[in-house]
Amino acid sequence: MGGKVSCTLGEVKNRADFILYWGGNPAECHPRHFTKYTIMQKGKFLPEGRKGRTMVLVDIRETMSVKAADIFLQVRPGKDFEVVTALRALVKGNRVDTALVEETGLKLEQLQDLVDRMKRCKFGVIFFGMGLSMTRGKHMNSAAVLTLAAEMNAFTKFVAMPMRGHGNVAGADMVLRWTTGYPFGVNLCRGFPRFNPGEFSTVDLLVRGDIDAAFVLGADPGATMPQPGIDTLARVPTIVLDPKVTHTSKLARVHITTSVTGISSPGTAYRMDEVPLPLRPVLKSPYPSDEEVVRRIIAAVDKKSAWLPKPATMASGVM
Amino acid sequence: MLRITGGKVYDPANGINGEVRDICIADGKVVANVEGGRTIDANGMIVFPGGVDIHTHVAGAALNFARALTPENQRVAAKFLHTKETRMGIGGQTPTTFATGYLYAGMGYTTVVEAAVPVLSAKHTHEELRDTPIVDKACCLLMGNNELVMDLLEVGEYEKAKHIVAWLISAAKTYGIKAVNPGGVAAWKFGKDAKQIHSPIDGYNKVNPGMIIANLAKICDELGLPHPMHLHCNNLGVPGNVSTTLETMKLLEGNRAHMAHLQFHAYGGDDWHTMRSESVQLAEYFNTHPNLTCDAGAVLFGNAVTITADGPWQHLLYQLTGRKWGNLDVENETGCGIVPYTYKGSNLVNAVQWAVGLELLLLINDPWRIFLTTDHPNGACFWRYPEIIHLLMHADIRRERVRALPEAALSRIYLADLDREYTLYEIAIITSAGPARALGMKQKGHLGVGADADIAIYNQNPDGELMFRYPRYVLKGGEVAVEEGEIRSVKDGHEFVCQPSYDAGIEDYLKPVFQQQYTMSFENYPVDAERVHGMQIAECSYQKTT
Repeated sequence: MGGKVSCTLGEVKNRADFILYWGGNPAECHPRHFTKYTIMQKGKFLPEGRKGRTMVLVDIRETMSVKAADIFLQVRPGKDFEVVTALRALVKGNRVDTALVEETGLKLEQLQDLVDRMKRCKFGVIFFGMGLSMTRGKHMNSAAVLTLAAEMNAFTKFVAMPMRGHGNVAGADMVLRWTTGYPFGVNLCRGFPRFNPGEFSTVDLLVRGDIDAAFVLGADPGATMPQPGIDTLARVPTIVLDPKVTHTSKLARVHITTSVTGISSPGTAYRMDEVPLPLRPVLKSPYPSDEEVVRRIIAAVDKKSAWLPKPATMASGVM
Repeated sequence: MLRITGGKVYDPANGINGEVRDICIADGKVVANVEGGRTIDANGMIVFPGGVDIHTHVAGAALNFARALTPENQRVAAKFLHTKETRMGIGGQTPTTFATGYLYAGMGYTTVVEAAVPVLSAKHTHEELRDTPIVDKACCLLMGNNELVMDLLEVGEYEKAKHIVAWLISAAKTYGIKAVNPGGVAAWKFGKDAKQIHSPIDGYNKVNPGMIIANLAKICDELGLPHPMHLHCNNLGVPGNVSTTLETMKLLEGNRAHMAHLQFHAYGGDDWHTMRSESVQLAEYFNTHPNLTCDAGAVLFGNAVTITADGPWQHLLYQLTGRKWGNLDVENETGCGIVPYTYKGSNLVNAVQWAVGLELLLLINDPWRIFLTTDHPNGACFWRYPEIIHLLMHADIRRERVRALPEAALSRIYLADLDREYTLYEIAIITSAGPARALGMKQKGHLGVGADADIAIYNQNPDGELMFRYPRYVLKGGEVAVEEGEIRSVKDGHEFVCQPSYDAGIEDYLKPVFQQQYTMSFENYPVDAERVHGMQIAECSYQKTT
């Protein structure tokens, strides 16, 4: 089994002499990634900076990021899983069928060269984007790449990291984990957390129409969800907290304008490597912060007489 | 105001051994006398100072990583419902923060030490501890692989290194320091380890693990930190590692040190097939060296999740078990590895580990220097402590369990030969009075006038496991937090931090180095005091007695 073998971005800056981006376009989507953390920086063990590093880009099309790459490997759409699987086989020295590799749009020699470079490096890292994790194969692709990185540690130091974005998504993930034990797709309807991606993920609940109210915070599902999900948001009472007018706020029953966290209200944001950064406001806003609005809603709800299950007992025998 | 009357009081710090006497409480403290207020009739019960866990992993980036990595454990774990008093949560191997508070308090524990915090993610750890109710908390800062410190030791700048350590403790708002596989985790950043404590670490000419250990122990003592260096030795879990552990202990003569989860460092043999217990050899040395304290890090059979800063060891465990592997290297500071693990009674290695934990607890003759831990969640979950207490109190039950082990294990362990049985007085020492003293927390671990009114009251029962699993009452800060298995009052605990003094000029050195080697602004690195909930500053007043 694989798992997740990763590091903080400073390790990449200080040590990574081999950097592979897969299914992402950092030049446009994470514009500070190259300059602040990965290829351009001089690191503690890479005094030469860019010259001391090899950058490989795997994608289905030529993006702006190609210019920054030493090697570009163009994969046929939907064939990422096959490429990762072939790489895992080559890493272990197993034979790989040339014809099968060619179906992916790449040649066996290209993959062998990639594996040789991966094994030769001192510290390798794979950053994978939504072009891998959200296309054909989805989480199977992510699992395959994470396993490839884990298995590479039998030869040299290797890590992998998803290219997360969308505001403070890593922070939401962290808080859910320590409060519910699960990172996302959590259902609290029974008074305790349950987890089942595919059943309790937001998109599934919306598309099935399983909800009778929605509270949207720091997201714009009205812009990204499938149409049946958007229809559900329009049908049920939807409440949106957002500094701006969004697709979701337009179809919501209630839109509460809040101040922008990090500009007008304080907080904590997590980087994609799960390192927390304090946010300090630089401007004043006439609007309340998200936190303040949520606290006021909680206080108002507390005043209502609520249905409550029997108190939890500690003496349950099985922990 | 509150009076506990009629109970047999076990307060080893004040020499009270099962005497029936009243305990009076006012304003969250133990006082000499009170008039009026509630009276708890503790007839037929025993009264203990609230438990103190000196080494556990209950909050922070590593544990939160483990939660995400093991949803299958959460699914079968105990559930905590949302009620008027309690937040919802999940127990199990890696409990959620709220559940952690309820489970510890529900067992009579009122103070816990999160043993491994990187500076870089200390903000996160404090956020989780804020959401861990009832219990008081403190943190140890990971320092054994800090490259800022190692680079200074390489060029012989001890004083500067000391000021950096003091600055980092203050910046991260922690209580003490911990060294994990010193040098080995730094070497792991390029896929290596540090197996020999006198050989230079990969990437250094002079610095070796022994040098880091000796210097950090000295730094802790010179800074006057209430708790000594907390040490996870090199070669954890490896057959034959007792030689490393003994060599390490010799380096520490003349300084204080706390040896964490000693069980994992007490093995003989050359490989997994010949691994054996070396608890006798280790305990003999330990018994004659009062500068050391330790915690057991005992193992119980069943499921566990191994979580440690010891990255290279976790890679080996991943290769051995073929199970999931989580790894998170933290820039310039430390690492972290996670592998789910199942200890099996039928497995020779696991059988030896199980025996060694108990043997150390029985062979180290001064209960004030060995404390009950399982290195939660590594050896077993903290909520299984009562099972260990029961074994410590009954030699016959231990022998019965030994008989169920594989034949091959019997010649490799000493457990069946040990007759010692813990008394309630000694249990109170290893679960509360001892760890409080080793942590330098004068207000904890006892029931004398002036102590924090953290008290566990148990129905006296010959079955130690039953008795200690379900306290009748638990008081935290003088309030009834748990009564007959139900959470009554949920107040937030304090967090204890130390602010050792350092030369303010050290920031001039630190800032440019930091900006070169790290990836955040120097100003964002320290944890703001207002982000540490219920912070109480402990004095750095330890003085070496010669």
